[in-house]
Amino acid sequence: MNRVIVIGAGPAGLSAAITIAESGYEVLILDEYMLAGGRLLGQLYEEENGKWWNGIKESKNLHDKAIALGIEIRLGTPVSNIEKTDGSWVIYTDEETYYTHHLLLATGAAEVPLPIPGWTLPGVMSVGAAQVMTNVHRVKPGNRGVIIGVNVLSSAIAMELKLADIDVACITLPKKNQVNKESGNPMDVMNSLLHVSHMAPSAFVKFGSKLMKNEFMKKMGITFFPKSGVKMWDIPIMLRKAVINIYGENTVEGVTIATINASGEVIEGTEENISADFVCIAGGLYPLAELAAVAGCPFYYIEELGGYVPLHNERMETVLDGLYVAGNITGVEGAKVAISQGVTAGLAIANNLSGGKQEVEIKEAIKRIEHTRDNAFIQFHPAVKEGKQKLQQYWEEYGQQAKVEVTI
Amino acid sequence: MDLSDNEMIICRCEEVTYGELKNTAETYNCSARELKLRTRAGMGYCGGRTCRSMVDSIAHSSTERDVTQVTLKYQPPIRPVSFGSLGEITK
Repeated sequence: MNRVIVIGAGPAGLSAAITIAESGYEVLILDEYMLAGGRLLGQLYEEENGKWWNGIKESKNLHDKAIALGIEIRLGTPVSNIEKTDGSWVIYTDEETYYTHHLLLATGAAEVPLPIPGWTLPGVMSVGAAQVMTNVHRVKPGNRGVIIGVNVLSSAIAMELKLADIDVACITLPKKNQVNKESGNPMDVMNSLLHVSHMAPSAFVKFGSKLMKNEFMKKMGITFFPKSGVKMWDIPIMLRKAVINIYGENTVEGVTIATINASGEVIEGTEENISADFVCIAGGLYPLAELAAVAGCPFYYIEELGGYVPLHNERMETVLDGLYVAGNITGVEGAKVAISQGVTAGLAIANNLSGGKQEVEIKEAIKRIEHTRDNAFIQFHPAVKEGKQKLQQYWEEYGQQAKVEVTI
Repeated sequence: MDLSDNEMIICRCEEVTYGELKNTAETYNCSARELKLRTRAGMGYCGGRTCRSMVDSIAHSSTERDVTQVTLKYQPPIRPVSFGSLGEITK
């Protein structure tokens, strides 16, 4: 019962568990996947300083460190429910039921689907699935793919597919509908791409950040954006085309694309077919917070953080006693931010167990999250800091409300 | 809106189409929860893990979002559990 339980063996969960174990407490980690590392496993990219960030290596380092500290990690163990009974958290899995006073949810993020006619054909997958197949399992998702959805995640994964010698015919937009509103609108996509232009080779940078200082130039940029696209890592990125249909008899054989105007409307008569044997759908990520929801955490919808996030403070504590959160469940950001959040959550748990011995370290850890965020190479949302401020404000309002209720 | 868009499957478990969801949302101007209950989208064996965000988006095309609560409730079990392992639990 004194053992701390962490759900999720990704960068946040592993680093939290390491921090707790280093403070002298026992930890158990549960994860539904067969390997430790979470989404970190798929990552592979070159940083500004020319060094490569290899997610498999980073995951292994964290995993080995955890094992060396005596942390138990149970993989292939999905948690189906959590609840608080008689003052302790009860965690239900298929095989066993666990109990703890301190439970950390580090369940990460999941991918947003973009429905397109034909998207239920075999051979259509999320871009994250193609990444895991390629980088983790070393299986080619196909020989020639089309990526639908232009964003940070899809361009990073397109490059990874390229490194694995898989042909990416193009990265393009989905046809606009009630679900694909922003991701099907060239102006919205252009805006969201401007802050990541540093990731792209020179041609795209020149085209992007220098020209696009004001709204008029952005509009011009979209209007005159070459129909054949701008190449990044030799892959055409087409902001003025959209996939209107994915076709194939029993499996993907190709996609039909058409030219779209600046607001995403399809221009009739411009349809053409592109052959492909797999299609990746890249709708972005949202915080995977199901367990926080069934536990009864209050939630707020914050677009800058990727969707609904459970209310928590800077110390990663939720309003529920003994329940903590860290990593992408608190908002979609990179692995390095997740690691520093994990450390903070770990310290907060150790501090509550030790009766306040880690106060100084917690303050430093909170500052380190900020620092990591400011220096992040990949930012999933340009206004993530504003999103975090909104959440902080909700936390304060909630606290005041709770006080009023107690007084009454 | 051409035919293929309306026939596109959104909820794979219950085979609910985009057209059905869009028409229901427009006819009843309803919340995400009501849209789910009227169409059964998100009520299949996966528990809405694939279509939840899409059902939510379609409903919010005609209604305002309440940012202070999750629109489509999560219910345990949040992962599929086999009857075998449910039946074997002894306390």
